[in-house]
Amino acid sequence: MFKERFLKNKKGEEHLLWNVLSILLILIILSGLLLFVHIKINGAVILEQSYSKNIALLIDASTPVMDMKLNMDKAFDLAEKNKIPRDEIVQIENNIVTVRLSQKGGYSYSFFNDVDVSAYADIYPNKNYIIKINGYK
Amino acid sequence: MVTNKIFLNKRGGEEIMVLYLIAMVFVVAGGLAGMVLIFAGSPYDIREIEATLLMEKIADCISYGGRINENFILNGTAQNTNLDICHLNFEGEEEEFFYKITFYDIKDLDNSFMEIRGGNLNLEASYSINEYSENLPKGAEKSFYSLDNSDNQYIIKILTVVKKFEQNVKK
Repeated sequence: MFKERFLKNKKGEEHLLWNVLSILLILIILSGLLLFVHIKINGAVILEQSYSKNIALLIDASTPVMDMKLNMDKAFDLAEKNKIPRDEIVQIENNIVTVRLSQKGGYSYSFFNDVDVSAYADIYPNKNYIIKINGYK
Repeated sequence: MVTNKIFLNKRGGEEIMVLYLIAMVFVVAGGLAGMVLIFAGSPYDIREIEATLLMEKIADCISYGGRINENFILNGTAQNTNLDICHLNFEGEEEEFFYKITFYDIKDLDNSFMEIRGGNLNLEASYSINEYSENLPKGAEKSFYSLDNSDNQYIIKILTVVKKFEQNVKK
């Protein structure tokens, strides 16, 4: 009886339509927001900065002879998406670490530990980078 | 006329409530997006960790296993007054760091026995330790006890300061 009354009630139909539309709109806005947050937090700029600072700190804290394996899952995925070769993600020259995950530049940070360092990607398909502290300069 | 129609119509109240709700959602979502933008736009500030690492590295270079490196103090006599043997490289960034190492003879803690300073000396005047202050360079300090090769006792104080505003502080 209630169902019949509700379906025959035009006001109820209108009310239901408005509610469904507003809920849908709110869901669209919230999912847009979530997507925006995801893109911002996992974006190349943030990851490049985070990884280069991490690597610089690791080198500063290290002593020769030492091998460090750094898991860089997110970086490898993003670099692959942006067509950056695995071996060019991390580059170390003099006392500067540069991490590049997109075609635009990359992020560099310096370290003060005067060591001879080399960095290379782990064997495919591992998504690690190996930082090797060979000795003091 | 449209406004009149909505406001004079009692049934229109529901639609206005929905529009109001949607406007609220836009405001909240906009606020959250703004917060994310502020968070994503601020660089990670690692100066405090860097200052601590530098301090520990200097400490290990000066004294290891409770004994002062003979390059600094030998038989109670001051030797080196620089950190050349400590494997530090501030190339191109001399202005971004400061360090001060003060040696005190344990019998006379008011007067320093030897002092080593380097980097940007202006940084000694203003820095913050263990407190949040973006606009000041970050520092780290510690003091410890050590012996020289003749068992003379010393207190060694180390202070390190890192500036690096450009890469660690939002412009």
